Amino acid sequence: MIRANAEGNSGEPVTHARFRRMARMRAFDEACLDALRRGVIHGELHVGLGQEAVAAGMAESLRPEDAVVSSHRNHFHALAKGVDARALLAEICERETGLCRGRGGHMHPFDPATNFSATGIVGASLPVALGYAHAFGMQGGDAVAIGVTGDGGSHTGGFHESMVMAGARRLPLVALVENNALAISVPFSEISPTATVAERSSAYGALGLHVDGTDVDAVARVFAQAMDHARAGRGPVIVEATCHRFRGHFEGDPEGYRPREERRRLREQFDPLTLYRARLEAAGESPDVLDGILAAEKSGMKTLLAEVLEDEMPDPAGALDHVFTDNAGRPA
Amino acid sequence: MNNRLANDRRAMPLPATIAEAIALEMERDPSILCIGEDIGRAGGVFGTTRGLLDRFGRDRVVDAPIAEMAFSGMAVGLAQAGMRPLVEIMFVDFIGVCLEQVYNAAAKIPYMSGGRQRMPIVFKTAGGCIGSAAQHSQCLWGLFAHLPGIKVVAPCNPHDHKGLMAEALRSDDPVVFIEHKDLLLRKGKDFRHHPEVPDEAYTVPMGKAAVVRPGTDVTLATLSLSVEHALEAAETVAAEGISVEVIDLRSIVPLDTDTVARSAASTGRLLVVDEDYLSFGLSAELTLRVIERLGLTGLRQVERLAVPDVPIPAALSLEKAVLPGPDKIAQRLRQMAGGR
Ligand SMILES: Cc1ncc(C[n+]2csc(CCOP(=O)(O)OP(=O)(O)O)c2C)c(N)n1
Repeated sequence: MIRANAEGNSGEPVTHARFRRMARMRAFDEACLDALRRGVIHGELHVGLGQEAVAAGMAESLRPEDAVVSSHRNHFHALAKGVDARALLAEICERETGLCRGRGGHMHPFDPATNFSATGIVGASLPVALGYAHAFGMQGGDAVAIGVTGDGGSHTGGFHESMVMAGARRLPLVALVENNALAISVPFSEISPTATVAERSSAYGALGLHVDGTDVDAVARVFAQAMDHARAGRGPVIVEATCHRFRGHFEGDPEGYRPREERRRLREQFDPLTLYRARLEAAGESPDVLDGILAAEKSGMKTLLAEVLEDEMPDPAGALDHVFTDNAGRPA
Repeated sequence: MNNRLANDRRAMPLPATIAEAIALEMERDPSILCIGEDIGRAGGVFGTTRGLLDRFGRDRVVDAPIAEMAFSGMAVGLAQAGMRPLVEIMFVDFIGVCLEQVYNAAAKIPYMSGGRQRMPIVFKTAGGCIGSAAQHSQCLWGLFAHLPGIKVVAPCNPHDHKGLMAEALRSDDPVVFIEHKDLLLRKGKDFRHHPEVPDEAYTVPMGKAAVVRPGTDVTLATLSLSVEHALEAAETVAAEGISVEVIDLRSIVPLDTDTVARSAASTGRLLVVDEDYLSFGLSAELTLRVIERLGLTGLRQVERLAVPDVPIPAALSLEKAVLPGPDKIAQRLRQMAGGR
C-alpha cells in the first residue's frame, strides 16, 4: 500500500491519511465556528464544510515548492499546502501570533514559507497563480502553481485572461475550480453558458478534468493526473471538482435562496467523510480506527483553539507598521 | 404621515428604504434596470433590492455572474442604447476589477462625445468599515472624486438615501452611490438624524450639504457613517461647553464648499473627518477649497482626521486605531477648542 506524505501521520496507510486530512480540515473549521460563537471571530467568515475531499485530495500531489493561491474560502487549501494550523487559526482569530500578525484576517492569509496565499476578491487568485507559473517556468525545475476558485470565480475576466496566457505559453498552471453549484445565491446552472467549467478548457489549449469532489480517492487520482500533466510541461489544466457547501455562503447568511431541507439532504447524501468512511468500512476497515482518527483530530484542534485564545491581540501602537518595508511615506 | 406608518419606518431596515426608492423610480421610468450579483433572487446581500425581481421581472432585475468587467461595461452600452442602468458592485473594493469601464468609459464618454452622449448610470455600492479587513472595508469616494466625470454620493440617513437614490437615477450623468455597510445594518430608529421618510417619491439634490447640528466653536464637515459619529462626539463635548456645528456633505462631487465655508467663517475652526484615506483625498480638497474661499487668514485652525494611509487591518484592536471613531473625533474637538 502507498504511504502518505506530509500531513498524514508518517507511515500510516494512505486511506488513513486521507481520512485524517479530511477529519483535520473539518475539525479546523469547526474550531472556527466555535470561535465565532464565542464572539472571537467577527466579519463574514467563509467555512468549507462539505468540501474537505477536494483539498484533501489535492494535498497528496503538492510539493513544498509548488504554489497555491486560494480564494475567500481558503482554510482547507492552506492546510493542504502545509501552512501551520496554529498560525492560521491565530490569524483567523486575529492574534499577534497569527500568520500575518492579525493584519490579514481569515480572508487574507499569506505564507511565503509554503508558497501559499489567498485573496478576498473573487477570480483574483488565477492571475497571481499565473505569475507563480511563469516564474516557475523561468526558474527551471518542475514546480506547479495552483489557482483555486469557486464556480463563481470561473466566470471572471481574470480567470479567462489567466487561462489564455497560461495556455499560450504552456505554463504549469492548474486551475482548481471547486464547483459547489452556488455563488452566494446564484446557481451555476443558471449563470453558466456551459454545463461544466472543465469543458471550457479546449478554448485555452488546456487539459480539462472533471471529478466528483465528494470522493477523496477520485480527487486524489485526478489531481495527480493534472499535476503530472503540468509538471511535464504540457501546459495548464482545469480541474473541476463538484461538491456541496453545507453552510451558508458566510456565517450569518440567511440563505433565503435555498430551503433548509435541501441543506439537510446535501449533508446526508454528500458528506465526504461519511462517504469515505462507508467505503473503508465496506473494505473491512475497523470503525474504531476511524473513530480514533476523528477523535484525535477533534481534540487536537480544540487544544489549538484554547491555546490561540490565550494569545495577545495586536497592539494598537503597531497599527501603522508594515505598509512599507521601511515605514517611510507615513503621513506626519 | 400617520402614526402607524411612522412606527413602521422606525422598524424598517435602511435597505428596505433603498429598495423602495429604486422601485418607485423603476415604476416611473421603464428604461431603468438593475444588474448585479445576488440582487434578484436574494434581493441583494444587504437587501437593498429585495422584492424588485418579483415586481419587475428578469429583464429589469438581472442576477449577474461574477463578471463586473462585463456588466459595468454592459451598463455603458445600455446607456448608449437609451436605457438607464443601475449597476450594483457589491462592495466598493471590487471596483478594482472593472474600474476601466467606470473611469475610461462611463466617466469620459460624455466629454469625449462633446456632450452628445449621455451616461445615465448609477454605480451603487457598499463601502466602509465593519471589521472586514483590507479588501472589504474601503470607502474610496476620494478615488472616484479624483476622476473627472463621475458624481459621487454617500448619504448618512434614511431620508437622504431615498431622496439621493431617486436623484441619482434621474441624473443623466454617471453617479457612484456609496452606501455604508454599518448604516445598511441599521433600522430607522437607529439613526441619530433624519430617520423619517415620506412614502412618496422625492429627490434630494446632489451638491447641497446639510447643517445637521448648529454650533459656534468648531465646524465639523464629514459624510456617510461619520456624520453619526460626529453627532455623537458633538454631543459628548457639548457637555464640556464646546459647541460644534456638524455638516453632512452628502456628496463629494459636487462638493458644497459654500455651506462649509460659510460655517467655518463664523466659527473660525474647521475639522474635516473622513473614513477614507487621509492623503490626496476629500479632507485635503475640502480644506483647501475653504481656504481659497476665506483666504489664508480666514481661519484660526484647520484639522483633519482620516484613515492614516494604511490598509484597513483585520484585528478590531487595529481597526479601531486607524478609524476616526467618535472618541477620536471628540478628542480632536477638545484639542481644537481648548484654546478658545
Ligand atoms: C470581484 C468580486 N466580486 C464579488 C465579490 C463578492 N463575493 C464574495 S464570494 C462570492 C461568491 C463566490 O462564489 P464562488 O466563486 O462559486 O465560490 P464559493 O463562495 O461558492 O466558494 C461573491 C460574489 C468578491 N469578493 N469579489
